[in-house]
Amino acid sequence: MSGAAGREAAMGAPARVPALTLLRVFWRTLFLQAAWNRRGMQNLGFAYAIDPALRALYSDPARRAAALARHLGFFNCHPYMAAAIVGGAIHHEERVAAGEEPEQLPNQYKSTLQGPLAAIGDGFFWTALRPFFGALAALGALLFGGAAIVVALVIYNVLHFALRAGLFHAGYEHGDALVPQIARLSLPLTADRLRAAGAALCGAAAAVVALRAGAGGGAPALAVAALAATAGYAALARGARLLPTAYVAALAGICAAAVAGHFHWSS
Amino acid sequence: MGYLLLGLIAGLAAVERKGFLQAMLSRPIALAPVAGWALGDAQGGLLLAPPLELLWLGSVNLGAALPAHEALGTAAITGGAVLAGRAAGGVSPEVALLAVLICAPLALLGRKADRLVEIWNERLARRAEAELAVGHVRAAVRTNVYGLALPFAIAAVLAPIGAAVAAAIIPAFLAALPGAATPLRLGFVAFAGIACASGAKALRARQAPTFFYATFAAVLVLGVAAGRLP
Repeated sequence: MSGAAGREAAMGAPARVPALTLLRVFWRTLFLQAAWNRRGMQNLGFAYAIDPALRALYSDPARRAAALARHLGFFNCHPYMAAAIVGGAIHHEERVAAGEEPEQLPNQYKSTLQGPLAAIGDGFFWTALRPFFGALAALGALLFGGAAIVVALVIYNVLHFALRAGLFHAGYEHGDALVPQIARLSLPLTADRLRAAGAALCGAAAAVVALRAGAGGGAPALAVAALAATAGYAALARGARLLPTAYVAALAGICAAAVAGHFHWSS
Repeated sequence: MGYLLLGLIAGLAAVERKGFLQAMLSRPIALAPVAGWALGDAQGGLLLAPPLELLWLGSVNLGAALPAHEALGTAAITGGAVLAGRAAGGVSPEVALLAVLICAPLALLGRKADRLVEIWNERLARRAEAELAVGHVRAAVRTNVYGLALPFAIAAVLAPIGAAVAAAIIPAFLAALPGAATPLRLGFVAFAGIACASGAKALRARQAPTFFYATFAAVLVLGVAAGRLP
């Protein structure tokens, strides 16, 4: 046990961070990217999130400041997955405060996990789960109106908060043993399926748009919607830029109708 | 009052988008109906929500990459459409398309503004380190939340400006060219079609083309065969 840690133990610092403080830390993880910057990336957010736990662990202001300085170093991860690392860092800080681990261990833990968890989080949440629910909500809104949006967002947030809170808890309880817990979730495999399902939802949405256009404007409107969706996908897949392509498609639609002259729109 | 409300909603959405929460509340699918409802036309927001969500489905923060600011674009487009719709008899597809054409570039301007926010946040990071160096631990920690101010302010200012431009141009344009309404409706259909394609493209699945085209064809055939268009 180091001299400083021994003094902390003698001062009666808690061995475990109280549950309410953990809740506070979890709440603060929601602000992880509030001051995202290219120098330290999420460093300010991480220090802000973990501060209540450090306050509970270090009654000595000098040790608390030193601990905070550790967590002001570079940090970048997926904002949801980072909850696991915040939990794990508290796991290690408890042991540092008790003199059971060296002071550099929390940072080693962070730097080891931030890259892999960022990759998993980006791949699962940002490029699969969220777009899937976005596409689901969009198709639902086209078919059933605003209620479908509410349902889709509620399901997304129940899932996302359950995972976020579960990851925070797993990091805090298991520390280094967090990795097998995350591996058991099979997130990359689930992500692949969600992406494929999301693409299918977009196809269904395109068909609904075309059918609706056809109902209002007849076969020419249906054809324009179908052409925009199919040729648009081909163009975007070949690297066409999104907004210019969308402008071209809209203007092509306008020109087609203008040229047709006597285009009928009954709705 | 409408512009103030729009500014507030756009600012909050800009904060939710990256700095706090990230629960899809700033995504176009949620933001457009909310902005429309706040301005008195939830249906107008609902008309825009699906195509805008699908158009910007791939707009995500991956690492240090900055995507288009879909929340700012959506707030300006919806605000512009609803405010223009007041003078043009509601948010019709032609009003919605003109609002998109006028305000969508704000999403790209928002991306540039995000870079400025990052530079500003670097100053905040240095300030936190300086506070900590002199023992002001609480002040150092609090610095993080100051990072929410600039994204809020930028979106709160730019969205109403974009909406105001759209609200000024659209009714005048439609009044001057009444014959343009029908072609613009078809333009909106084309825009909605390519938005769906953009959504599928954003999903980056190896089999995305197969799933997109196959589902499109199947639903289209079923819809036509059923003879009852949705």
